[in-house]
Amino acid sequence: MNAQSKLAELVASKRVVVCVGSGGVGKTTTSAVIALHAAMQGRRVLVLTIDPAKRLANSLGIDALSNDVTRIPIEKFRDIGLEPKGELWAMMLDMKESFDHVVRRYAPAKERKAILENRIYQYFSTSLAGTQEYAAAERLYELYEEGNFDLIVLDTPPTTHALDFLEAPKRLEDAVDNKALYWLFKPGMLAGRTGLGVFSTGTAYVFKTLSKFTGAELLEEFSTFLKNFAVLFEGLKERSRRVRKLLTGPESTFVVVTAPEASSLEEALYFHKKLGDEEVQVGGFVINRVRTAWVDAEDARMPAVSVVHHLAESGHAVDHLSPEDLRDLAGKLLKNAQESAVLAEVDNNSIEVLRRAISRNTPIQRVPFFSTDIHSLRGLNLVRTSLFAEHTRTP
Amino acid sequence: MKSTNLYKKRLLLFSGKGGVGKTTVSSAFALSCARRGEKTLLIELNVHDKVSSMFGAGRVGTEITEVEDNLWAVNITPEAALEEYAVMMLKVRIVYKAVFENRIMKSFLRAIPGLNELVMLGKAYYHVVEKENGKHVWDKIVVDAPATGHGLFLLKIPMVITSILSSGHMFEEAERIIEVLRDPEITALNLVTLAEEMPVNETIMLHNQTRDELKIPMGAVIANGVYEPLFSESEHEILNAAAKHVKEPSVLAMIDAANFRVMRTRLQAGYLKEIDREIPLPRHTLPFVFTPRMDFQSLLTLAEKLESEIEGGQS
Repeated sequence: MNAQSKLAELVASKRVVVCVGSGGVGKTTTSAVIALHAAMQGRRVLVLTIDPAKRLANSLGIDALSNDVTRIPIEKFRDIGLEPKGELWAMMLDMKESFDHVVRRYAPAKERKAILENRIYQYFSTSLAGTQEYAAAERLYELYEEGNFDLIVLDTPPTTHALDFLEAPKRLEDAVDNKALYWLFKPGMLAGRTGLGVFSTGTAYVFKTLSKFTGAELLEEFSTFLKNFAVLFEGLKERSRRVRKLLTGPESTFVVVTAPEASSLEEALYFHKKLGDEEVQVGGFVINRVRTAWVDAEDARMPAVSVVHHLAESGHAVDHLSPEDLRDLAGKLLKNAQESAVLAEVDNNSIEVLRRAISRNTPIQRVPFFSTDIHSLRGLNLVRTSLFAEHTRTP
Repeated sequence: MKSTNLYKKRLLLFSGKGGVGKTTVSSAFALSCARRGEKTLLIELNVHDKVSSMFGAGRVGTEITEVEDNLWAVNITPEAALEEYAVMMLKVRIVYKAVFENRIMKSFLRAIPGLNELVMLGKAYYHVVEKENGKHVWDKIVVDAPATGHGLFLLKIPMVITSILSSGHMFEEAERIIEVLRDPEITALNLVTLAEEMPVNETIMLHNQTRDELKIPMGAVIANGVYEPLFSESEHEILNAAAKHVKEPSVLAMIDAANFRVMRTRLQAGYLKEIDREIPLPRHTLPFVFTPRMDFQSLLTLAEKLESEIEGGQS
């Protein structure tokens, strides 16, 4: 089975597709293309993005996405001559909103208010170790559980730390669920109201030094936050176990998105390895913006006189050019052909390195660098024909 | 349009969307400073080091390393910065070890919001103000800042801290950092972009947020990877007319390649116009480099081009 068929099969059979990759490689576009294809094939599909730059809305041809699911209107498809058999929905996660949602869901009424009003929480709820990724995973799971969609495609935040996304629940736990910390920074102690006697002198000293460093205020605010936040933990833990089970289970697959440059591919390989360590199924690689060798390297070295000769065959199109201008034009054609051949070869070689490093069964699908930018539904459909070519022809 | 000569500042930050070549542009700029005889420090922030391969130097770690004449580089990690900062503050390393290497403390420090970002900025700040015999140690500090979202977050941290706190070392440190970051005599944040839809949109957003929220003075927009025009409009027309009659397939393919180049060049020209329309900053343009890997020679070419753009923009 070729790469296209394998990808198409995944998109037809899975319930969750997660696109991972570093920043700037076309992850959002790829997520949208996968979702578009599934919708064309008759599935009811949701593409969920965490991208703050409103790119997805851009490319789907709508003004904005909200924190709620939005259906892409059928007219948008008809405008470009498409007739989807299914439905395409999109949603952009507002990180703050999503995390507030987690708090509201798991915190008892008393702590809920205290957490939401804590200044540390307000400023940092979207940046505290792993919260973005956690909120995304949480929301994904919730939407999955509700069962309104046949397929959810998740566009993850760009990350340099491989799989923050899977590791997020655990990191969040490590950061907050630390009983020692909780006791150490029990509110009240900070103001010196309760006996320092319960702590060893060592701990008291550590604390004193630290508060000199951060200011007692921050510690106090942070410890209050930790204390209130700790009540969320039983719920979060149970939940993150289930999220993990879904993501590592047979209903989910991960697609690694990358650019053909060596540095991007190195990162993609690193992702691939980490996913393997997590026992996650990697459904394939998508390599965006692969540069085309218009002319093979040998032809690109054709003598300029031959190019002049072939151009001259076209008769009146070039006969008003002076011999110098014609030679000049032939020279430019050759220069451009050679430059594109070099770039295409660079891409080919790096992709070959990737190919050798992964299992034969993992599909690698290339998407060419197009002469236009991909930022509309029409553009997404163009990419679709190269990701799923055999499956996009109308019978 | 206010014109800003980047060489007049001492702290130069470069941010932009992921994948636009921030590291290349920061490195090229730093190299141009070094070649002008300025003692320059190039700072990477907690990334998988990308600078060393361009300079053909050994891996750049958390120790300041010379990578070229007049040019040093360092990769600041939160761990190393925190240690350095704490030792400086506590005066004695042994106290640092007792306090900060305590198991409980370590896990607490990892979780303290904003601390990592603050100590990284703090280290950059320290080098900006660092003096020896009454003279600044560094003539130029060039920071390869994280991509848009994270970059904004990082630069916003000192402002967040001063709004939450009212005293303590972190608060004072944040205040000092803000003062330098917002000083137009010292600092310029530069926006690196490609002349393409998504990067340009994100750059406009970054510009507006920097102006409205961060209030950090901005230097220039740097449009990276711009194709130099190869075919004129009339040549393009001639080629398309000729394509109808040329029989040789390889020459037809060359004409396809030429068409691709023309389309991409036109597309870029449109986005450059949009940048100029939307962002009231000088724009410097760097050419697309046709090279298998960004090596020192290509970097030097970019450095020279950038310098002439910056100096040329002053006339």
